[in-house]
Amino acid sequence: MSKPLISVENLTLSFKTDEGLVTAVNNVSFELAPGEVLGLVGESGSGKSVTAKSLMMLNAENSVYTKDSKITLNIDDRDYDVLSLKRPAEQKIIRGGAISMIFQEPMASFAPAITIGEQMVEQLMIHSTMTRNEARDISIEMLTRVGIPEPAQRFGQYAFEFSGGMRQRAMIAMALSTKPRLLIADEPTTALDVTIQAQVIDLMKDLVEEFHMSILFITHDLGVIAQTADRVAVMYLGNLVETGTVRQVINSPAHPYTRGLLNSLPKLDDLDAPLTPVPGDIPSPLDRPSGCVFHTRCVESGDIAERCRTEIPITTIGSDNHRVDCHLASKGGAA
Amino acid sequence: MTDTATIEATDASVDQSRKEAYFTAGQGQLIWARFKKQRAAMIGAGVLIFLVLSGIFASFLTPYDPTIAGRNADYQNGAPQIPKFWDENGFSARPFIYSYERTRSIETNFRWVSKINRDKRRYMVFFTEGDSYTLFGMEFNTHLFGVDEGKIHLFGTDGTGKDIFSRTFHSINTSLAVGTIGVLLAFVLALIIGGISGYYGGWIDSILQMVTDAVRTIPAIPLFMAIAAFIPATISSEGRFLIISIILGFIGWPTLARRVRTHLLTERNQEYVLAAQLCGASSSHIIGRHLLPSFTSYIIVDLIISFPYMVLSETALSFIGLGLKEPVNSLGVMLQNVTKADVLLNYQWNFIPVIFFITLVLAFVFVGDGLRDAADPYSDNKK
Amino acid sequence: MSDILIRANNLSVHFPLRGLGFGERPVVRACEGINIEIEKGSFFGLVGESGSGKTTLGRAMLKAAPISHGEVLYDDGEVNYSLGDIGKNELKDYRTRAQLIFQDPYAALSPRMTVRDIIAEPLEVMGLTSSREETDARVREIAAMCRLNLEHLRRFPHAFSGGQRQRISIARALVSGPRFIVADESVAALDVSIQADVLNLLNKIQQESGITFLFISHDLSVIAHTCDFVAVMYLGQIVESAPTRKLFSETSHPYTRALLSAIPSLDPDVRGNAQKLEGEIPSPINPPPGCRFNTRCPHAQERCRSEVPEWRELSSGHHVACHFAEELS
Repeated sequence: MSKPLISVENLTLSFKTDEGLVTAVNNVSFELAPGEVLGLVGESGSGKSVTAKSLMMLNAENSVYTKDSKITLNIDDRDYDVLSLKRPAEQKIIRGGAISMIFQEPMASFAPAITIGEQMVEQLMIHSTMTRNEARDISIEMLTRVGIPEPAQRFGQYAFEFSGGMRQRAMIAMALSTKPRLLIADEPTTALDVTIQAQVIDLMKDLVEEFHMSILFITHDLGVIAQTADRVAVMYLGNLVETGTVRQVINSPAHPYTRGLLNSLPKLDDLDAPLTPVPGDIPSPLDRPSGCVFHTRCVESGDIAERCRTEIPITTIGSDNHRVDCHLASKGGAA
Repeated sequence: MTDTATIEATDASVDQSRKEAYFTAGQGQLIWARFKKQRAAMIGAGVLIFLVLSGIFASFLTPYDPTIAGRNADYQNGAPQIPKFWDENGFSARPFIYSYERTRSIETNFRWVSKINRDKRRYMVFFTEGDSYTLFGMEFNTHLFGVDEGKIHLFGTDGTGKDIFSRTFHSINTSLAVGTIGVLLAFVLALIIGGISGYYGGWIDSILQMVTDAVRTIPAIPLFMAIAAFIPATISSEGRFLIISIILGFIGWPTLARRVRTHLLTERNQEYVLAAQLCGASSSHIIGRHLLPSFTSYIIVDLIISFPYMVLSETALSFIGLGLKEPVNSLGVMLQNVTKADVLLNYQWNFIPVIFFITLVLAFVFVGDGLRDAADPYSDNKK
Repeated sequence: MSDILIRANNLSVHFPLRGLGFGERPVVRACEGINIEIEKGSFFGLVGESGSGKTTLGRAMLKAAPISHGEVLYDDGEVNYSLGDIGKNELKDYRTRAQLIFQDPYAALSPRMTVRDIIAEPLEVMGLTSSREETDARVREIAAMCRLNLEHLRRFPHAFSGGQRQRISIARALVSGPRFIVADESVAALDVSIQADVLNLLNKIQQESGITFLFISHDLSVIAHTCDFVAVMYLGQIVESAPTRKLFSETSHPYTRALLSAIPSLDPDVRGNAQKLEGEIPSPINPPPGCRFNTRCPHAQERCRSEVPEWRELSSGHHVACHFAEELS
C-alpha cells in the first residue's frame, strides 16, 4: 500500500466571530490516495469548503486550529506538515504547486482586468523556472486539452468574453497547468447548466486518468458524486458522519443522515414516490447539538435517543473500511 | 442534582432569551450591538457627548461672559491660573489661585506685567452667581465655579482680557451650530436631488448628475472670497453666521447626493422591491417602507462624517477672515489672534482651544467610522 | 375552453439594448412565439437552462415583463384580462389574483421588516382587509399553513434559515388569495434536504386550495416529481410540451433527450451515457436561423438550418417543435 497523498487527522477548526468561537470543522479525519477521486458531500454549514481550504491554508485569519489537527501531504516520499507551513515560500507547494483548486464561480476567480492567458502564464512562472514563451506554449496546450476551441485566440481574451462553461474549463486548464497531484474542486459544476455540467464532469474524469492526479470533489449533488467519485465522505455540521466507497455509501448508506439525504432526492426512475425531506432544519453553527450532531433531526434513533443526545458516537469501522459515526451502527456490532 | 438541573434550566432560558432578543432585534438594535464592540468608537462617542453637552451648557460651565462684556481688563494676556490645594503657606480644602497685581517698571521694560502675590489667596467658589445669560429662553446667572475675589482664568486670557476658557466652550457651541445647519441643509438637498436621481434613473438621472458634478467642481475658497466681498460689512454677526452656514450647506450637498443616489440605484433592483411592486405598491410606499429604511444607517454615517468637514471649513474660513468675525466666538476667530509673532512666542495658551477642536473632530471621526463598520448588520448574515 | 386559466398565444418578449449609435439596435429575443395553455388547478412545469427565457416567460405572465408581440389571456371564471393592453385598475385587480415566489430567499425579504409585516404587506397595500385585527388573523392563518408559528412572526428575516425564508416568501404570495402563482426557481437555492420539504408544502397548498402553479426550474427531476405537465424551453422557444409521464416515456425532441441524459444518475454503475451535448448555448441576441437548436443538435439537417419547425401536436396533449420528431422517437 502506497502512502496516501493527503492524510487529514483530527482536524478541528473554529472561527472567531462577533458571536463567539464558532466550530466549523469538528474532528475530521480522512485519507486520499494518489489517483483517487474523493467526493466530499454536505449541505450548507457542513464545513466541506472550510476543510478543503485548510488543505491549502486558505482560511481567514480568524481561524483557529486545535493542537491535535494535523494535515500531512506526501509528495515523492517527502512529508509536509501543512498546518505548520507559515511563510509564503513554504506555502507555495500547497498553493498551486502540488495542490490546485477550482471554484464554483469562475467569474469571481479570474481577475477581470487581466487576460486569461496572462493569468495562466503568471501561475506557471511562479511555480516553475520556465521562460515566458515556454509558459505560453504550455498554457495554450492546456486550453486545447480542456476543449476550448481556438485556444491561441482565447489566450488573449478576458474573462468576460468567455461563457460560463468555458470559464470553468479555462479555470481547470489554469489549475492543471502546474501538473498538481491534487485538484480540489469546490462545487465546480453547481453554477453550470446541466448539459454543460455533463461536459465538464467528463473532462475532469479524462484528466484524472491522463495526469494520474487525485481530485477532492466537493459538492452537495449526490448524482454528480455517483458519477465521478471512487470514495465518498459525508459531512454534517462540521462532522464527518460516513466514509466509504461510492457503492457502499450510495447503495447501502450506513448513517441516518446519508439515508435521509438519498431519500429526499427526486428520482427519475420512480416518479410516484413521495419526496421525504429530512425533518427539521440544519442547526445554526452557534448552536451545535450535544452528543451526536445529527440527533435533532434523526428519525431512526428510537429507544437509544437519550444516548444519541448525550454521547458523541465513536467511529465504527466496517469490514470493508466503510466508516460511520453512529450509535446504531456500533450497537449492531461490526458490519 | 436538582441544583444543577435548575442551573442548567436557567442557563438554557437565559440563552434562549438572548437568542430571542437577537431574532427580534430591529435594525437599530443590531447596529447598536455591533457598535458597542468597538472600543475606539465608544470612547469617541463618550467624548463627543461630553463635548456637545458642554457646548450646550457652556454658559453655565464657564465663569464669564465670553464677549468684551466679561473681560478682565487687569489681566490681559494673562497666563493660565491652575487651582491648587497646597503650597508653602499650607493646605486648603478649597482650591485656590493667587492674586496678582499689575505693575509697570523699568525692570519690565515698561510693559504692563502682572505680578503674582503668593500670599494673597483667592478661593474658588462653586455654583456662584456671575454674569447673566439666557439658556433655552430663560435667564440664569449661576455658573459652575468662580472665585471669591476677582476672576479666575483656567486657560488664561487673550489680548483684550477675555477668558479663553469661556470662549473655548462657547466656540464649540458655535461651531456645532454652524455645522448642524450646514449638514442639515446639505442633507435635505442631497436627499431630494439624489433621491429623485436614483429612484427614477434614465434621463432625469443624467441631467441631475450633470448638475451635481458641476456644483461639486466649484472651488470653495474663491467662492467664499467672492461671497465675502458681497456680504455687506454692516450685517449683524448672527446674519453672517447664517449666511456662512447656508453656503457650507450648498457646497456640501453633491457628495451626499451621490451617496444617496448610489444607495437607491442598488436597492431599487433588489427582489423585495419587485415583490412589493407586484403587489401594486405605489412609489411612495416603496420608497418609504423599503428603500429609505435600507439606507438610513448609511446616511446617518455620512452625516456624522460630514460634520467635521463643516467644522473645519468654518474654522479655516474664519481664520483667513472670510467667515465669522469678532465678537462671535468660534475657533477660527480665536485663531485669528494667534497670527502675531508676539502671541506665538509669549502667550502660547492661546492655542489651548486647538486641542479641544482636534478632540472634537477626532471624536466625530471615530464615531462615524465605528458607525460605518456597524452600519450593515446584514452583510455577514448572507449565505 | 373554460378549463384553461391562462394562455399565451404567439407571445414574444424582446428587450432592446442600447445601440452603438449607428445601425440597428440589438434586441434580446428572450421569448419568441410562445404558445402555452395552463389548466386551472394544475401544476405546470417550465424547464430550461440559462438563456432559455423561462424566467422572462414567467414574469410576462404576471405582467412584470413587457409583452412585445402576441397576447397573454387570463380567465378564471370571474374576470378575464388580456395582459397586453390591460388597464391600470384591471392590473391592480390582476395583482390580487396572480403572485410570484422568488428564487433567492435571502434577497426576496425586506431585511428591515418583521415577518408579520412582510406577510401582511400585500394585504395592506392592496387594501384587502379593513382592520388590523382582520389582517393579523389572516396573517396567522396563512403562517400556520406554511408552518410558521406565532414566535416567528415577531422576528426579522435574519433569524431564519433558507428553507424557512422560502416559506415566508410562500406565505406572502398566498396571503392575497391568488388563483395563479409563478414559482421561479423557488427551490434552487435550498439545500437538498429542505427542497423536498418546500416542494411538499407547495403540493399540499395546491391540493387544498386549488391554486394553479407555474413552476419554473432547471432541474428536471424536481419538475418530474411535482408537475402534471411540463414544457421544455430552449433559447426563448418551447421545444416540447406534454403531460409529465408522456414527456419521459415518449421523449421526442433531441434537446429534451439530451437534457434527460445529462442528469447524473444516482447509480454508480451506470456511467458513460449515450448522448453528450457539445457546444454552448448561442446568444439570444443573434439566435441561429431556422430551428434554434440546430447548432448543437446531433441530428441536424439542412432543413433545420433554414426552416423554423412548426409547433405541432404529436399525440393528445403532446406538442413538439422539430422537423423530425416522428423519425427520431
